[in-house]
Amino acid sequence: MKTFKGYRRANGSIGVRNHIIVINTVGELAGLTKKLANLVPGVIPVVHQAGQSQYPEDSAQTIKTLAGTAGHANVSAALFLGMGSNDPADEIVETLKKDGHHVHSILFDKDKSIIECLDEGRTWLENALEQSKKQKTEKADVSELIIGLECGGSDAWSGITANPSIGVFSDSIVADGGTSILAETTEAVGAEHILANRAVNSEVADRFLEIVRRYEQRAKAVGENIKAANPSPGNKTGGLTTLEEKSLGCIKKGGNSTLMEVIDYAYSPTKKGFVFMDTPGYDVESVVGLVAGGAQIVLFSTGKGSPTGSPIAPVIKIGTNPKLYKNMPEHIDVNAGKIIDQNYTIDQIGEEIYSKVMQVANGEVTASEKYNNQEFSIWRLAETQ
Amino acid sequence: MNYSFEGFKREDGTAGTRNYVAIVSSVICSSAVVREISEKVSGAIPIVHANGCAQLGNDFTLTRNMLVGVSSNPNIHSALLVGLGCETNQVSGLLKHAPKTKPIKGIGIQQLAGGTNTIQKGISIAETWAKEATEQERTILSLSSLTVGILNVDADEDSLEKIGPIIGSVIDRLIENNAKVIMGLSKTLEPAGHLLSERMIDATEKEKAIRFSMGLQRMRWGNPALVDEDTEFTEEETKLAMLELKMTGTSTINSVLDYGEIPKENGLHMINVSSNVVESLSKMASSGCNIVLIVSNRGVLTGSIALPCLTITPKNEMSSYNELIDYTLKGSNIQEESERIIEELLKVCSGKQTQLEMLELGEFSIPHLGTTY
Repeated sequence: MKTFKGYRRANGSIGVRNHIIVINTVGELAGLTKKLANLVPGVIPVVHQAGQSQYPEDSAQTIKTLAGTAGHANVSAALFLGMGSNDPADEIVETLKKDGHHVHSILFDKDKSIIECLDEGRTWLENALEQSKKQKTEKADVSELIIGLECGGSDAWSGITANPSIGVFSDSIVADGGTSILAETTEAVGAEHILANRAVNSEVADRFLEIVRRYEQRAKAVGENIKAANPSPGNKTGGLTTLEEKSLGCIKKGGNSTLMEVIDYAYSPTKKGFVFMDTPGYDVESVVGLVAGGAQIVLFSTGKGSPTGSPIAPVIKIGTNPKLYKNMPEHIDVNAGKIIDQNYTIDQIGEEIYSKVMQVANGEVTASEKYNNQEFSIWRLAETQ
Repeated sequence: MNYSFEGFKREDGTAGTRNYVAIVSSVICSSAVVREISEKVSGAIPIVHANGCAQLGNDFTLTRNMLVGVSSNPNIHSALLVGLGCETNQVSGLLKHAPKTKPIKGIGIQQLAGGTNTIQKGISIAETWAKEATEQERTILSLSSLTVGILNVDADEDSLEKIGPIIGSVIDRLIENNAKVIMGLSKTLEPAGHLLSERMIDATEKEKAIRFSMGLQRMRWGNPALVDEDTEFTEEETKLAMLELKMTGTSTINSVLDYGEIPKENGLHMINVSSNVVESLSKMASSGCNIVLIVSNRGVLTGSIALPCLTITPKNEMSSYNELIDYTLKGSNIQEESERIIEELLKVCSGKQTQLEMLELGEFSIPHLGTTY
């Protein structure tokens, strides 16, 4: 039985980190959010430019993502900064509190000066930080882990080395009772039949085919071809020729397990095992969705070398080729390139990934954490009003 | 009166009110590196945003144009473009469109084998430029080298009545003195589109204003269908638009700018803005504004990272944060008030810090015209 030591939350979930975050509800407050985080060393600012004059579908997606991030198992406490009379901060905080989360909101409004708001925020964060330091870890079973599966800056080796190794890991953790979430609907285009065939029932299969179809339609509706943005210029220099080829490599991250469920962006899985989340191929936005949906750790394969991470979840970088590992070791946690030049098998790298996941769950710092890669951006569904 | 200010003269005839070294990320993936470089170099500003990859068509073009536009901005002494390497928005593409009249270079994380090298390289390039920028002195310049943005944020009926004609007069005076003015065309002005079109000469521009008066089409991609909003304006909306119209002055309107377009002629131009302040200010920065007058009752909680934003409020009640407001109307005499505002504006152009600059609140952001893929 595989176990790790994590932070137990009031709602029963278990975190692999114990972060204190400050998060803005609207873009206008991004600057003040960073300012406040700077006042209390150790606090992570989660900033974005969404949340202002959005259509309902975007407002809903923003709120869902922010709530998922603040209520995440890796977060010990979260402070929301909001403004104006229709700000969602209070409502999000009320909902999260009911679930036992340590959260608070400050609304910048006419009653308090900016300095007063910042003072209030600093005091709250300092207290939250103190409290978090007292929290003890406890032993938890691997079946409590949700792992996001992502790729960024893919090359022709992605589908041969790193992604199939992630697939081996995914099958193992699913067999151990855990959960893995494959994502990036764009990168299922051309390979959707394979995943649909693995669906647990026809309902899940249909739902999956539907989200892929919808993605293609979105592009057509604005007169564009999805294949013009994907593969990206870097994918092509990396040897990928078509989106179908990229997709066939991409879905290998999902191994061979049964597809249990298809979930919307930033939603949490309701089933254990292998699930799929509807996210864009844009890696940063996809990782944000996966983490907001509850993934405590994200596996991220890269062929060209991408440093991006997450403000609250450790992201483990899996390099696809030996040259990348030689050139930019600082951004790579696991070198799947050993399959090419050191006779390692896919199964062996899959095992190596699993042990890395357990080490990281126990607190080992990943490359993206070391270099403060805390990119955060919410997938947009409409133009700003 | 003969207006002038002290600014940084640029080779292309424009002038900076500030003299920044811009560190520009081509894609979100290089934003951490960009922040790190700009923190280490005094006089450097980070231009970071959430876009740059997995984008298509107009949505991609807007991102590219805005980054080229902000790098071209006269407040920017020099620009270092920092990419990842594999992104849609390639640094080489940005360089192709970038101005040739100032120091601009591009570097990439993958090309330099990692963030650490890129940060070092970036700091060394930016430091050289920052030194040059510090040595450059302000010179006395006429208003013809100035581009002023005007952004109305939240004025209500009462404050529009007060401040509309005053800002209108400010714009008219700036134009008489050969400045460029870019006025934000927000949703609230839509009912006045026809009247704006009457002040335009060019037939294509007239057409744009008339279309605007039918309600801006904004796109939604959640369900794959374009939404064509049939807008019928209420009496209240029309009334407010007529008051806001006064804020645009009486000058001929030369053009309605496309996204990231930098106006060539002096005079009055309009630019579509949303009610997202950061996006609107960023569009203005990308279209060449080197200062923005923000008209707001409440005061806005962030400015632009690249431009001084001078906040003017019609009334100073409890509702405004004093620490955000640069100028509160003192009276109702249009001539006197517009004179004072221009005086304040020119002080800021000459280097006086705005409240938002003192609070170090400035952001940059690029809107989406399509979903990401």
